This record gives sequence, structure tokens and C-alpha cells, in this order.
Amino acid sequence: MAKIVNSYRFLDGIPKRIMKHWATLGERRQIPWSPLAKPMSQCTVSIVSSAGVALRTDEPFDQEIERRDPWSSDPSYRILARSTATGDVRVYHLHINASFAQQDLNCVMPLERLSQLEAQGEIAHSAPSHYSYMGYTLRPDMLLCHTVPGIIGRLRQEQVDAVVLVPV
Amino acid sequence: MSCGVPRIAAIEHPFGLTLGPAQDAARQLAVLSATLRALEEISQPGTVVHLPFEWDIGKKLNTLPPEAPPIARLLRRHPWYVPKFLNRTPPEVRDLAIL
Repeated sequence: MAKIVNSYRFLDGIPKRIMKHWATLGERRQIPWSPLAKPMSQCTVSIVSSAGVALRTDEPFDQEIERRDPWSSDPSYRILARSTATGDVRVYHLHINASFAQQDLNCVMPLERLSQLEAQGEIAHSAPSHYSYMGYTLRPDMLLCHTVPGIIGRLRQEQVDAVVLVPV
Repeated sequence: MSCGVPRIAAIEHPFGLTLGPAQDAARQLAVLSATLRALEEISQPGTVVHLPFEWDIGKKLNTLPPEAPPIARLLRRHPWYVPKFLNRTPPEVRDLAIL
């Protein structure tokens, strides 16, 4: 029998009830759709992670924004080169145990694995740039008005064909 | 806000371990490969492909953050904000003075 994923398996109690309630909120909208223009083996692919990953040499995500206003978070994004390794980054998300990603970035942002798929010919290229932002916010305006268009602009510049968004 | 996602590859993994356990390259590669395959094969907007991977329940991992997130601490101190949190309607920024 084919597996049906239980979205709430790793939640219990109050968080589980909250997530189930959130899933009922909001109006259904038309889903944006762009057909994939070519086989995946000919595509350039980029990864976007909501884990709040930043290079150790880059400006950190500002966790104090969320500590001061727990309904919000740092709305900016960071760029990570395709060659970024686990030891190059820090993970700033406040709602997960970030130690797993700190041990192995591929848990939340599989850059090495994407390069392996490139080497195996499953994709044409791992894009030069990949992106991360802080996934928790209940004030998404800055994220939607600035961060997302900024990422989209760079994806287009690098002629990315497909994006894998990895939530945490 | 309802999620209008064009294509979803659903995975039953714990939070913070979306692609798989740390140092489990085989699992991570398999999940990513299956995700890209789903991306290629999905032809209808909103389709959810349920990836077949099972999480090893023998792996007892603490997936909670080291300290409770700020919003959890706020709601414990000020439970009257719970309805706003449930409905995703945050208070005005000026109201933060009382937090």
C-alpha cells in the first residue's frame, strides 16, 4: 500500500492542534504554475532553505528581532555558493534543534547532495547561488515584498530552471 | 494563509531533518532525487507526492530547540494573545511595549 505522509506525526499536544487549525485558515487562491520547460537532466536547480542558514563570514540573521517581537523574525535572506560546506555556516532558526544541521548542512540544505546529482547527470547544474531565510514569521510583509523578489531576481539572473524549497 | 504551492513532495521526517539524519548521505540523496523526480512528473498545480521514506523510530532524537521559541514564552506569560496566535493576526507593533 502506497505511503500517505502524516504531516503531524512529529507534533503532539498544543503545537499539533495549532498546526491543524492553521491549515484551515485563509482563502484558497489560484496556485501559480509554470510548466517545467525541459527534462530535469537539462535543468539548473537552486535550493532555498527556511532554516536561517548564513555563512560564518556573512552578517548573522538577527535573532534579537524575534526576541523583541516574537510575532516576527529577521526578514532578510542570505546567499550561499554551491560549494558551501557544513563548517562554513551557522544555523539561526529558533524553532528547531539546529545542532543536526550544524553537524551536516545537508539535513536542511542539501548542497553537497545536489552536486552529487549533478555529477550523476540527474540534473544539468547546481546553480552558482542558493538561498536561505528565517522561516518563522507572522508578519510576512517584508519577506514577501523584499526578500522574495530579491531571490527571484537572482534566480532569473542565473537562469535557474527549478527551485527546491526545503522547509524545516 | 493557505499554502498555494505548485508542487509538493511530502516527507515524514522530523523538523530540522527534512532531508534525513545527519551524515546519512544515502537517505539525503534518495530524498532529494525523489523530490526532483516529483518536480518533473507533477503536471497539475497543487499535486502532493507522498515520498515513501519511513523514519526509523528507533532513532530517538531530541528535535526541540535548546530553549523555547520567543513566541512560546510570550504566550505562556500573556495567554490572552493565544486567540491572535491561533488566527495568525499579530498585535499592532505599538502593543509590544507591554510584552
